[in-house]
Amino acid sequence: MRRPVLATASPTTGIARTLRALLIPSLALLAALLAGAVVMILSGDDPMAAYGGLFKGAFGDGKGWARTIRKTIPFVLTGLSVALAFKVSLFNIGASGQFVMGSVFAVAVGINFEGLPVYVHLPLALIAGIAGGLLWGAIPGILKVYTGAHEVIVTIMLNYVASLLGGWTVYAGGTQGQTPGPLWDRTAGAISETPDVLHSAQIPWLFGPPYRVHYGVFLALAAAILVWWLIFKTPLGFEMRTVGHNMRAARYAGIRVNFTIILTMALAGGLAGLAGAIETLGLNHKFAPEFGGAVGFDGITVALLGQTHPIGVLLAAFMFGALDGGAATMQFESGVPADIIQIIQALVLAFVAAPLIIRLIFRLRPQSQEDAGSAVSTSWGGT
Amino acid sequence: MKASRPVKLLVFLTALALLLAACPAPMPATDSGSGAAGTAGDMAGEFKVGLVTDVGRVNDRSFNQSAWEGVVAAAEALGLAEDDIKYIETQDAKDYADNMQQFIDAGYNVIVSVGFALGDATTAAAQENPDVFFIGVDQFQGEAMSNLAGLIFNEDHSGYLAGVLAGSLSRTGTIAAVLGTDLVPPVVAFNEGYIAGAKSVNADINVISTYHPGEISQAFVDPEWGAATAKQALDQGADVIFGAGGITGNGALQEIATADGAGETVFCIGVDTDQWNTVPAAQPCLVSSAMKLITPGVVELVTMASDGEFPGGNYFGDADLAPFHDFDDMIAQELKDLLEETKAGLIDGSIDTGYGN
Repeated sequence: MRRPVLATASPTTGIARTLRALLIPSLALLAALLAGAVVMILSGDDPMAAYGGLFKGAFGDGKGWARTIRKTIPFVLTGLSVALAFKVSLFNIGASGQFVMGSVFAVAVGINFEGLPVYVHLPLALIAGIAGGLLWGAIPGILKVYTGAHEVIVTIMLNYVASLLGGWTVYAGGTQGQTPGPLWDRTAGAISETPDVLHSAQIPWLFGPPYRVHYGVFLALAAAILVWWLIFKTPLGFEMRTVGHNMRAARYAGIRVNFTIILTMALAGGLAGLAGAIETLGLNHKFAPEFGGAVGFDGITVALLGQTHPIGVLLAAFMFGALDGGAATMQFESGVPADIIQIIQALVLAFVAAPLIIRLIFRLRPQSQEDAGSAVSTSWGGT
Repeated sequence: MKASRPVKLLVFLTALALLLAACPAPMPATDSGSGAAGTAGDMAGEFKVGLVTDVGRVNDRSFNQSAWEGVVAAAEALGLAEDDIKYIETQDAKDYADNMQQFIDAGYNVIVSVGFALGDATTAAAQENPDVFFIGVDQFQGEAMSNLAGLIFNEDHSGYLAGVLAGSLSRTGTIAAVLGTDLVPPVVAFNEGYIAGAKSVNADINVISTYHPGEISQAFVDPEWGAATAKQALDQGADVIFGAGGITGNGALQEIATADGAGETVFCIGVDTDQWNTVPAAQPCLVSSAMKLITPGVVELVTMASDGEFPGGNYFGDADLAPFHDFDDMIAQELKDLLEETKAGLIDGSIDTGYGN
């Protein structure tokens, strides 16, 4: 018997290449869902009912679609953040902290400046959010270039700093006279949170409650297109990719490697910061420590599942949005704990990060020389 | 070649499954209510009760679990079918409203939302759905709504009882409290009641109360700090220590359980639930716990909702001490009587804890 057509198709045509790029992620997702089903069977649950509920929750009706889209938006942006850094062989583990900084900066503008018109206030708050993330992303870039500190370590550490800094800005103070944080809502009593963002800085609803989908969805789409254009259609993007492929060669060729690294990390941070700003201005309408940056870590999985390509990231983010959007309905319908979704998402990461497992399971041919170099593999080598 | 392919797949998945099964598999705490599949359209039950947890599991041995046990008990008392009660475990603080909406859309009559953090979302849902009864556990109601009851507790009362117990047991004249943050009013109430209770039996008693200095997100999940603070209190001569602050307090209890003289000269008191059951490691020193009786409170409110006598606004649940368990023989009858009298006095108002005055 011959092998499936996909694996042997000529790599020269665009469609075949696209299909092949989709192959590993799709199979990884499939394998993760199958493994999730096995876990459910072992714990005495019915996977068909669970996945039925999941699908119904994600796409069953208008509210389901709304949940899925609402969950997809931040995944797109944090996924793009990680993917953009990957293109330069930088591993941005800091999307979580950048997300928090974006939220804090955006809310700081959003709760102040009463009386500004929407078309000034909202862009200002969004730009503030981008700036917060940009700053938080630039720090590891600068440290890498000037001190050699690895961006993985620095971004992980900055996640903690951002989380605590974010908590401090909204700290409610204590009964023993501690000073409250600068953004704390004075009417919130003992609760540590900011006041609501002023109406003029809220992203308007595309579909209002109970759907609660806001115009941020277009910002996320625009960001994906912009990142695609930057990477593949601009000289800067060419330089980024060159640095990502071979830093030394890039330096020989006269590319400003240091500048490219700092800029890329800053832009990656800006994307995650925009994610925080959009979540804050569009959905939460305030910042509190519990609106943390967990979605920043999922951005890593989304970027890998999307093969670090902006279009792939869109698709991967949508898949993750659907998984999260349907989780509660799954538990409601089938009684399967929503934690299973996190197991599936973690397995997706395991499978896309180790494509060899997928190739082994589904008996795919080894990849051709052309695309063998994974975006991730060079990260630890280059400085 | 042809045959080996599915076999290999099967072998791999089995291996993977075994690997995963070795880790604690996610199992619902109680199968009742959420075990059966595809029952959304089932119209067998006239009266349905749903519960939305705070971020975390329904079997958290704390608030979520106590509230769910209340729903289960109420369902039994009212003769509801298993499919008429369900829970959704919240995964993300942004999902509170969505999760409640699932129950509203499915035509549930009562929705229990567990925890202070769900307060805003619960109020909004109650305003939008006047025909649905909402029970907000630990949610203080500023303005009363007829279809929303906040199940709250006089923490100072159970703290006071714990203080009477601690003050009576102490031989050194020094007792201590290891507390979650003072950012959360109930924790302060526990402490103020504790101090007042201890002073009521020994006016000269020295109480070392220490609040966690960190932010809210850390204050209840820092067992190392709890243990270190408990150790410090022991070094300063405290012989009864009240641990009130989630996992932070549990850290203190466990530290005392391993100290010299635990259960003989040194004792600890737990909080919220009967921690004899929830923190078995603390049993060597745990004489009792200052409880919030969430389960009976939920049962009462659900029953009242089904009877059409739902009380909007704040509903005070009982505060009490947990059983003494293995220490029962060691507690003198006079002390037991004193605690009963104190409890009665707190309920009828003849004893004032001084909190909130």
